Amino acid sequence: MKLKILPTHLRDKKRYLAFQAISEIPLQREDVISLIMESSGNLYGACGTSQLGLWVVKVWDYTTPGANTVKGIIRCKREEVDKARAVIPTITKYKGKRVVFQTLGISGTIKAATTNFIKLKAADE
Amino acid sequence: MFFDFHIGNHPELAVDAGKMGYSGVVLTACSRDCIDHPETLKNLRESADNLKTEGKTLKGETKLPTIHIGVEIEAKNQVDLKKKVQKFRKKADVIMVHGGDLQINRAAAEDPRVDILSHPYRTRLDSGINHVLAVKAAENRVAMELNLKYFLFTRPNQRYRVLNQFRQIMKLHRQYHVPVIITSDARSPYDLRHPLDVVALAACFGMTKEEAGDALSKTPQEIMERNEIRDEVIIPGVKLVK
Repeated sequence: MKLKILPTHLRDKKRYLAFQAISEIPLQREDVISLIMESSGNLYGACGTSQLGLWVVKVWDYTTPGANTVKGIIRCKREEVDKARAVIPTITKYKGKRVVFQTLGISGTIKAATTNFIKLKAADE
Repeated sequence: MFFDFHIGNHPELAVDAGKMGYSGVVLTACSRDCIDHPETLKNLRESADNLKTEGKTLKGETKLPTIHIGVEIEAKNQVDLKKKVQKFRKKADVIMVHGGDLQINRAAAEDPRVDILSHPYRTRLDSGINHVLAVKAAENRVAMELNLKYFLFTRPNQRYRVLNQFRQIMKLHRQYHVPVIITSDARSPYDLRHPLDVVALAACFGMTKEEAGDALSKTPQEIMERNEIRDEVIIPGVKLVK
């Protein structure tokens, strides 16, 4: 039996962080997830990470010749936006290669985050 | 208005920083390079000027940050430091001292010609400054640098130590009003961080949003203002009016 979803007033309020990542080797969705969770674990520990409610919603590949760029959206709790944002600059290395994450913006819905910050190409929609 | 006062001597990095949202950068050359190759500073200035003219022709969507030239001084001892500060003060816009050694830290904090004391906690277990140095540095307006690269590239199991050192500096900042500045020490585009991300990260070492904002924008502006009138100031409090 499937659980009934929570009534709206009991659900966590969320915020969506749009980010882009530039790296020396191509990144997949799984790599992004492990990078974010690992660095959050390093910065806040298991206890702190559990409070942020981090979740990688979606990742788009924007790789062009010469630069591996990835854009995506992370979900976190509304009250912990600043703490979740602090995780993003602490990512420095992946498999010994350099990688950098930058926040593009914060938004209340996935739709607004994609239209305002990710700016999808028409073909991807 | 955000500033990054410690970026490696690659003019292309200034363009990247401009895209990221910084409105001013200081390209820093090492004093060792400047002595071995005396043209370093001149070349750096020329390439920065070239970028400016290119930026004008582009009428760019991305604004080019204002570029200043700085020197990071590595000294063996106090006498050596004094000599090098004297040598580079007129040539560079910003003077930075490569700290870490207690005696160098002390000499830098006591010298009003120095603008920034770079990582006084380098390779140390404590923060490298105490209340005595803090009072001196506040008198002479020598800013303490919180170096993000030093924090991010320390092994994760050692990071608590760096955070602790940053916290100690912030404690002294609140007590004695030592100027504090946050810099990236970027050598490549992979080291640059978005300024608002840096503000969020600064909460980890106990800075409030206002303090982090001051460290990224107010302190650098003060340094630039002071350096503009430095030639006209005869002794502290007396300025030559032409």
